[in-house]
Amino acid sequence: MRVPLPFLHECTVKMTTLRAFTCDDLFKFNNINLDPLTETYGIPFYLQYLAHWPEYFIVAEAPGGELMGYIMGKAEGSVAREEWHGHVTALSVAPEFRRLGLAAKLMELLEEISERKGGFFVDLFVRVSNQVAVNMYKQLGYSVYRTVIEYYSASNGEPDEDAYDMRKALSRDTEKKSIIPLPHPVRPEDIE
Amino acid sequence: MHRPELVTKLYEAAVRKVPSSEEYHSHLFMAYARVGEYKKMQQAGMTLYKIVPKNPYYFWSVMSLVMQAISAQDKKLSQTMFLPLAERMVEKMVKEEKIEAEAEVQLYYMILERLGKYVEALEVVRGQLGEKLTSELQSRENKCMSLYKQLERWPECNALSCKLLLKNPDDWQFYMSYFDSLFHLIDQGWEPPSEGEHCSEGEVRSSVAQAIAFVEERLAVEEAKETRPLRGPFLARLELIRRLRARGCPEEQELGEPLELMFQYFIKFGDKPCCISDLKIYLDLLTTDHHVQFINRLMETVPLSEPQDDGVALPGDTRALQRHLCVAQLSRALGLHHALDTTGKLDLIRQLKSHYRHGLQFGKSCLKTELQFSDMYCLLASHVYIDLWAETGDETMLWQCLGLLEEGLSHSSSNAQFKLLLILLFCRMGAFEPVVDLYSSLDAKHVQHDTIGFLLTRYAESLGQFAAASQSCNFSLRFFHSNQKDTSEYIIQAYKYGAFEKIPEFIAFRSRLNRSLHFAQVRTERMLLDLFLEADLSSSLEDNVKSMGLCPEEDDIPWTDMRDNRDLTVLTSWDPADRQLSEEQRSFSLQEELLWLKVRFLTLRLVGTLAVLSHPPTPRNAEKAAENGVVAKPDILRPLLDQLNTTLQNGAQFLERGVQYPFLGPSPTRLAHALASGSCHCQVLAFQLAAYVQELDAAALEETTEVQTQISNSFKSLLIQLKEILNKCKGDLLEVKEGQCKTQPTLLENLVFFVETVCVVHWVSCFCAGVLRPLKASLQKRKKKKKEPISATMVVFSGFQEFTAGLQSLFSEVLDHIKGQETSLTALKLGELTLEEVMPAGEEAFVKLAMDKLRSSYLRSLQELGDLLKKRADVLKSLKI
Repeated sequence: MRVPLPFLHECTVKMTTLRAFTCDDLFKFNNINLDPLTETYGIPFYLQYLAHWPEYFIVAEAPGGELMGYIMGKAEGSVAREEWHGHVTALSVAPEFRRLGLAAKLMELLEEISERKGGFFVDLFVRVSNQVAVNMYKQLGYSVYRTVIEYYSASNGEPDEDAYDMRKALSRDTEKKSIIPLPHPVRPEDIE
Repeated sequence: MHRPELVTKLYEAAVRKVPSSEEYHSHLFMAYARVGEYKKMQQAGMTLYKIVPKNPYYFWSVMSLVMQAISAQDKKLSQTMFLPLAERMVEKMVKEEKIEAEAEVQLYYMILERLGKYVEALEVVRGQLGEKLTSELQSRENKCMSLYKQLERWPECNALSCKLLLKNPDDWQFYMSYFDSLFHLIDQGWEPPSEGEHCSEGEVRSSVAQAIAFVEERLAVEEAKETRPLRGPFLARLELIRRLRARGCPEEQELGEPLELMFQYFIKFGDKPCCISDLKIYLDLLTTDHHVQFINRLMETVPLSEPQDDGVALPGDTRALQRHLCVAQLSRALGLHHALDTTGKLDLIRQLKSHYRHGLQFGKSCLKTELQFSDMYCLLASHVYIDLWAETGDETMLWQCLGLLEEGLSHSSSNAQFKLLLILLFCRMGAFEPVVDLYSSLDAKHVQHDTIGFLLTRYAESLGQFAAASQSCNFSLRFFHSNQKDTSEYIIQAYKYGAFEKIPEFIAFRSRLNRSLHFAQVRTERMLLDLFLEADLSSSLEDNVKSMGLCPEEDDIPWTDMRDNRDLTVLTSWDPADRQLSEEQRSFSLQEELLWLKVRFLTLRLVGTLAVLSHPPTPRNAEKAAENGVVAKPDILRPLLDQLNTTLQNGAQFLERGVQYPFLGPSPTRLAHALASGSCHCQVLAFQLAAYVQELDAAALEETTEVQTQISNSFKSLLIQLKEILNKCKGDLLEVKEGQCKTQPTLLENLVFFVETVCVVHWVSCFCAGVLRPLKASLQKRKKKKKEPISATMVVFSGFQEFTAGLQSLFSEVLDHIKGQETSLTALKLGELTLEEVMPAGEEAFVKLAMDKLRSSYLRSLQELGDLLKKRADVLKSLKI
């Protein structure tokens, strides 16, 4: 999960058309994806999300027609073990449309969808170095549930980076059991 | 798994063996889905449902009917057979109250919508079944809205829009649908019923007065807020003014004066980076004579310091900076930058640079992955430099622009806009080498190869960097080739998860990629490049053509239905609307690309034809081949040559229109330069020669006097034309005169055309030699036997020898030229160059950095071209008949 959002000032200034992300948007998202922290995935990755969780893939469009940002997520986990939850896979906002609270709005939508699906919590992964994003999520009510060691593999000889697994409990988790932090970090192979 | 049709056979066998296996049957269904066998899918789905009566199986079958409808050539058949059948299948389940899942209702909706049964669709969405539509947010409302529009039920559309806006006064799409419905209702003279509800969605606000009141109420709510207000209502007011004005409604004045309103908007939101994109759309509401006044009013509100020594007043924090930047962007969008004279523009650049450098202090703690707050000043200044260059032709402006962008990149290493503009500038100046690193640092991947890959492929080859060009094509090709397999897999997944509406979407997406202009281009160029670099050097032309599977008779490019997936607005531009890329320019650009692609594709096929003709089946083999069902190839050289001639004529006609694109928009193709260099016509002549030689081969020697003359003449004209192209390459690529650097990238482009043409001439020569050699041998035999002189044929043979000798000397000439250029480029002392204009030492260093990159790139291009020419010259030496 990468968030290139610098600051989260007011959460209210959006003015946007929010709609389902479609394949054609892949041809228009360069202004968002040319950001260094936003990964452009292979086509199968996007299609997988569109085929399986289309409602979790939402794009924001400006009055001028430019894409402003998008969120891509999914629902997963076992209901029996109270691990059924919404997961944020990608969230990115174009530089021009930052500081409008758009990321917060998109997160809110994802949480609402997860509520409707009866999820216990919403979670996401973020680079421990991406302090801006970590702080933003904290403001949105997320807390660090655990650290995942060397979750992000680096390409150019730099060391692999740890991730925070951050969570926010949904209303179904009345006792907020899902967000009690783990005492020890885990390895990527230990997470499901 | 590369042969999915075999998989279907496998599962067909499996279900025959175990007819009751749910697993095998569902695998069979998916195997059919992979290859798009919709009819068989329909049956397989039903069979499954009969074995195991689970709803999803039934609806797989229904969806397969919908797919038959979508893919049917005969649309009437879709409307009268497939879709009604699908509808009845769903209705049956509805009647039996067996509908379980949301996906099933979605599919029902899809069918009714495609049948144009909007009333019925509305009943479904608004009825009990519609309650299942819960996954997607506002799913029911969005569907209703779209149906109201289809049904032109403007009262409902109006009422629902208002309802949704009351809930979320920031959702732009509903302002649009509200205003649309408003004016439809006014035009229809709609009156609310005297009693009862206005319509099933509630209250309708159908008069201009009500609309103004509605927007103003939304505004009042925002104004009263303690927190920062929403932007939606403020922009909606401007939108309503625009629409009222377009209809000549005097009531627009009740909403206020656009200048004042936009001023207010700036006061509220000017410190947001998006303020420019918000206001940009409404600038046409201002009259031209108010532009300066508007900008001045905005500027007065921006808190700036007292002017510094250089006369520039600066902002004290990032919010003030963003406001000031927004005013600068708005000035540009209003055309005020363009209106300045040269001195004015230079002064503007000075100020923008001052703001840029001053603003860097606010971003000292920015990470490498973040942008600097003042980056956009740097980009604005670059745009003004480009304006100056375009107006005056003064190349110094481009050099300074390059320097400034290099400086910008040194402070903000992940600014994609800096990189994109640098790429464009370097390419326009003839240097491809620096582009490779810049582009790779953009980390463009996958679908981006299709949308911005043209930035790489447009110039790599034309600037003589064939190795890089080949690699760029490969990146893109790898992406396109995986598309087919990738998409099929997810079409199957969409069935599994019941995301039925995504299935046609995925199929359309796959087709959009398969029909991509860029795909056809890289496919063609990649093959041409391979041939230029290898054919008749390391391996024969025939082997090359065979190994790339090129079939010259076949035209497999979807010309009539090509998709232009290029992202032509990827470079940020704040230019006024009339200087932005227009739809017309977009379509011209596509036309031009198609013309050039056609030239290249025909050239490729003609070269392929040479390979096919070089080893025609011997008579005996030909018979055998005919027995095996392979018929001898008809003459393809001439028809292809005719097509090439026609395309070149069309190309010339296109260029007569003098279409210009915005600098930040699409680049022109190589077409104009190709025609001007004479390379196209020289290549046509070469293929023409091949056609004559083929004729000579087919006829009895005695009847060929005419064609022999044509051949000899062609040999001579070819040499003359090649020489003419070469003359257009002469001159200095990079020259330093009176402290100024001058480039002539056209010389490099012409040199590349020369090299490409020489390759074609080389292949034609080999083809000629292949035909003439046995002719000469048999003639000599006859001569010995009959002792009769056949003087005319001698013309062809001696003509060929003179021709190859002439080619040799052309090769030496061009190699000398390249050597000379390399020497003088290496000798240029850029370090000692004092740049004429006084600029700070830091700035000069960046300009020199750019100059050095340019020189290095020119040297690399020259070396690559020289190496290729040397290889061809060596091979040519041994070409004898």
